[in-house]
Amino acid sequence: MNFVKRTKRAGDGAATLLMVVPATVVFVVMLVVPVGLAFYLSLTDWDGYSAQPKIIGGSNYTHLFSDPVMRHAAFVTLLVAVAGTAGMNLLGLGFALLVNGTSRINRFLRVVLFYPHVLSALVVGFLWSAILGTTGAVNSLLTAHGGSVLPFLSDPTWALITMIAVLVWAGFGVNVVLYLAGLQAVPRSLVEAARIDGATRWQVFRHVTLPALGPVVTVNIVLSLVTLLKTYDLVVSLTAGGPAGQTQTVAYLILWNSFHDNRLGFGSAQSVVLMIVTGILALVVTRMRRRGEMAVYS
Amino acid sequence: MRAQHLSRAAVGTVLALALAACGGGGGFSGKSSSDGGDKGTVRMLVNITPNLTQSYWEGLVKPFEQANPGVDVKIEAPTGKTVADTLPQQLAAGNAPDVVETLMADRTLAPQMLDLTDQSWTKGTPLVQEAALGGRIYTVGVGEQAQSLIFYNKTAFTKAGIAQPPTTLDELTQDMGKLKSAGYLPLQTAGDFVTGLQMLQLADPSLAQSHPQWYQDIRAKRLKVGDSMLPYLKLYKSWLDKGYLDKNAMGLKYPDSQTRFFSGKSAMYVMGSWFTASEATAKKDFEVGVFPAPVQAGQKSPGPQGATMAAPYMVLKSTKHRALALKLVQWLVTDKAAVTSQLQQDGNFRKGYDRKFTPLEQQVQQILDAAPSGVPQGEGYGDYTLPSGFNDAWNTQVQGLYVGRSPEKVASAVDEWVSAHS
Amino acid sequence: MSELTVTESRAEEGTAVSEAAAPERRSVRRRSGLPRAVFLGLVAIFMLTPLYVLVVNAFKPQEEILANPFGLPVGALTTRYLSHALHNPQFNIVRGYAVTILFVVAVNVLSVALAGPVAYVIARSSRRRYRLLLLTFLAGTFIPGQVLVIPVVYVLKTLGLMGTIRGFVLFETALTLPFSVFLYAGYIGTIPPTLDQAAAVDGAGRLRTFWKIIFPLMRPVVATMVILNTFSVWNDFVNPQIILGPGSGLYTVTTGVYAAVSQYSTDYSVVFPTLLLAIAPLLVFFVVMQRHIISGLTAGATKG
Repeated sequence: MNFVKRTKRAGDGAATLLMVVPATVVFVVMLVVPVGLAFYLSLTDWDGYSAQPKIIGGSNYTHLFSDPVMRHAAFVTLLVAVAGTAGMNLLGLGFALLVNGTSRINRFLRVVLFYPHVLSALVVGFLWSAILGTTGAVNSLLTAHGGSVLPFLSDPTWALITMIAVLVWAGFGVNVVLYLAGLQAVPRSLVEAARIDGATRWQVFRHVTLPALGPVVTVNIVLSLVTLLKTYDLVVSLTAGGPAGQTQTVAYLILWNSFHDNRLGFGSAQSVVLMIVTGILALVVTRMRRRGEMAVYS
Repeated sequence: MRAQHLSRAAVGTVLALALAACGGGGGFSGKSSSDGGDKGTVRMLVNITPNLTQSYWEGLVKPFEQANPGVDVKIEAPTGKTVADTLPQQLAAGNAPDVVETLMADRTLAPQMLDLTDQSWTKGTPLVQEAALGGRIYTVGVGEQAQSLIFYNKTAFTKAGIAQPPTTLDELTQDMGKLKSAGYLPLQTAGDFVTGLQMLQLADPSLAQSHPQWYQDIRAKRLKVGDSMLPYLKLYKSWLDKGYLDKNAMGLKYPDSQTRFFSGKSAMYVMGSWFTASEATAKKDFEVGVFPAPVQAGQKSPGPQGATMAAPYMVLKSTKHRALALKLVQWLVTDKAAVTSQLQQDGNFRKGYDRKFTPLEQQVQQILDAAPSGVPQGEGYGDYTLPSGFNDAWNTQVQGLYVGRSPEKVASAVDEWVSAHS
Repeated sequence: MSELTVTESRAEEGTAVSEAAAPERRSVRRRSGLPRAVFLGLVAIFMLTPLYVLVVNAFKPQEEILANPFGLPVGALTTRYLSHALHNPQFNIVRGYAVTILFVVAVNVLSVALAGPVAYVIARSSRRRYRLLLLTFLAGTFIPGQVLVIPVVYVLKTLGLMGTIRGFVLFETALTLPFSVFLYAGYIGTIPPTLDQAAAVDGAGRLRTFWKIIFPLMRPVVATMVILNTFSVWNDFVNPQIILGPGSGLYTVTTGVYAAVSQYSTDYSVVFPTLLLAIAPLLVFFVVMQRHIISGLTAGATKG
């Protein structure tokens, strides 16, 4: 009520209220309340349909940190996020430099690099599992020519590498596009001045282009990181968490625990931890990058 | 202009929503069921497999719909991986189906299910008493599945010089050696759910003899799952080390393993009786035989057969069409044509419901008749149950043998899971 | 993110410059021409191979796929399996498309209708409470929507919206709000307030001013958000899978593909045709519109 009165007094009128309230209500009801609820549910033993979730304190959390399955999933998730972010950004920046410009070929290449992003991760996973699976296209070709099967998806180490590679394949096109946009902002005069001063291509890149790209790099890294930390669809369709549960990510386990084992309270605890870790990592990267940029500029 | 309209409409929607939110209502206790009469739509969540396709199910219930004008049976396929994780989603969402196929009542599910104890037609349906929970009947089934069967390639056995199928696990191991020398992959397996299932199927007959009170002992903590399974895990690991199993099998899916077996590359395949339905239609250039899973030396052979309920049905308490749902389930498990069709489609058995048997099915029937008793398996059913989700956890752990984990480690990981979930 | 300062116009200038390609740049390109061309050619082949495998195998029977997965037996191609996939009783692909398009449109319309006005108020006010509101929305961009589904189920159930189109659209819209508000507010900040004042003098209310004067100027940034939202709604899997569930009978393209493929993932004469049908229209749309989509993706995002 107070809010309403003050707004009125300010002369913004009911119109302002009408502009602010709907979005805020939807945002609060659908995102803020669920985040709060996740905290609450994580302290309960909710099974998804019992009338009243029982509060059991922090035991979901103690269980979570002692559970070897969970710990392995945390390792897999971090590995996927870090290796995937590195891969996406190195390739993203590299190819942005290679396909910069608007020649026909460059435009074609941009489409080719970007198109996997149009496909859903689920489709990408099914497609690659049909290509790399034990009976898939590549192994069929190998065995037809007397070779032996390569365990792309049946050996845990291979499967992890395959998963990361597929994630990078499917996602780095977005980074290319974002870096390309960033490259347009690099003052051409600076680059040309450096070239005239006799700087090599690498020196120009290192001392002119890269520093100017600073913020774009940050955005790209944070974006890749946040996306990869919640990897789920691809696990479902590419490996189904296997072999022997070795490619289960945290997001995969959250949904598995919640809806297969009826432990939504435990799943909520995992969600809470994942959200906190995502937030912290995003902040740390932003901070580190900002400091790095300052160092470059000073 | 249009944007303005839209925005107004949107704002309206949102405000209505906010009001609805404040107005309360909802809550989690589902409104107790009322009877929707004998017309309407009955939703049934079913398992979809290569044998039991969506169109099979739709065809199955068609006669029921025709016999009951105004009734529509809506077949729902799982949106999750399986029925086991789709039903909880639906229960959590408050839009559970009226009937669910494939799951059996355990302590978590039973409170959500209709008590069928007073329904007289449940008497005499297969395994109905075994599946009862504290004397109350929640689950009724169509037939019985024999679990502990080993199907084999007769040509391979002949070539390897094996005259008689093995009756003990030691003989089985020896025969595997012969089969390997003859150029066959001795035992076909796969990733998916197959790895863990085959281990359970293999172990049933001997485990039931060495630990007759297995479920009670586990529940009372007199025995650990991992400890009791360790000998089998070790045996399995030794097969793996000797190359009797394909090291890359984890990349295969369930249908792949069947395809491989029928292609004649592998000599044996551990699977339940429903495999006979695939065998009946598969292209192959050898004859398939079957023998019960062997036992340990000194035990009675054949041992108890792993026996599970085929096509178990439950009616949800929350159903708005109680009478209709009950009528449907009664029809599904007692109507001669419906039962026979289901038995035929998924290779299952039931006394008194004769159908045309393939030679292989006749052999399975003989094995069932010769078995001294039937025993539950894995997660089990009725009063004998391990925590729900056990079969999948077990499967994941057994697959660990393929990624270099020791049998001891697998056993202790299984125990850890059981203790964390009970 | 606010540090990104490339404007759309500048991006266009940039392309214009390279289109005219200074002679010096051309010579550079020619010098490194061959190895670069070979390398990029190989990369293009690598990127396109999965698509090739998908397309050719959608027209082949299982035995042919297993025997020769990369081959193109012109004589033996058949549309039988595609037509099977099109008439799959488990997943009506045409209906899946219709449902998904409906969701995409609804979410986009609702998202703009909600986020636009609030972003306008935020951008035009220096009040603390609006700064705070912006920060709250900004924090929302870090919420991983997929793992939030459990409490969202709880909320939707309480509202009686679980398993409904309304509930799903509302949640998907909510997921788009944080980034939209953030982008829109930044963009509106670059539009001179004198425009609003002129409208106010003409007697237009705030709502009117926004929709009539400001909103038309926001086209690039709205296009960016529409593209982003379309991808995220179209490709979402967890949320439709759980919020809609099997009870609603509603399948999006993704959940439908899952239903049609996951049980038959080794029957490649089901997998490839289904996947092809699921992606072909979208892919064609993307190729036709690629210029607008790729540049639109960054046009709005790099301003403000």
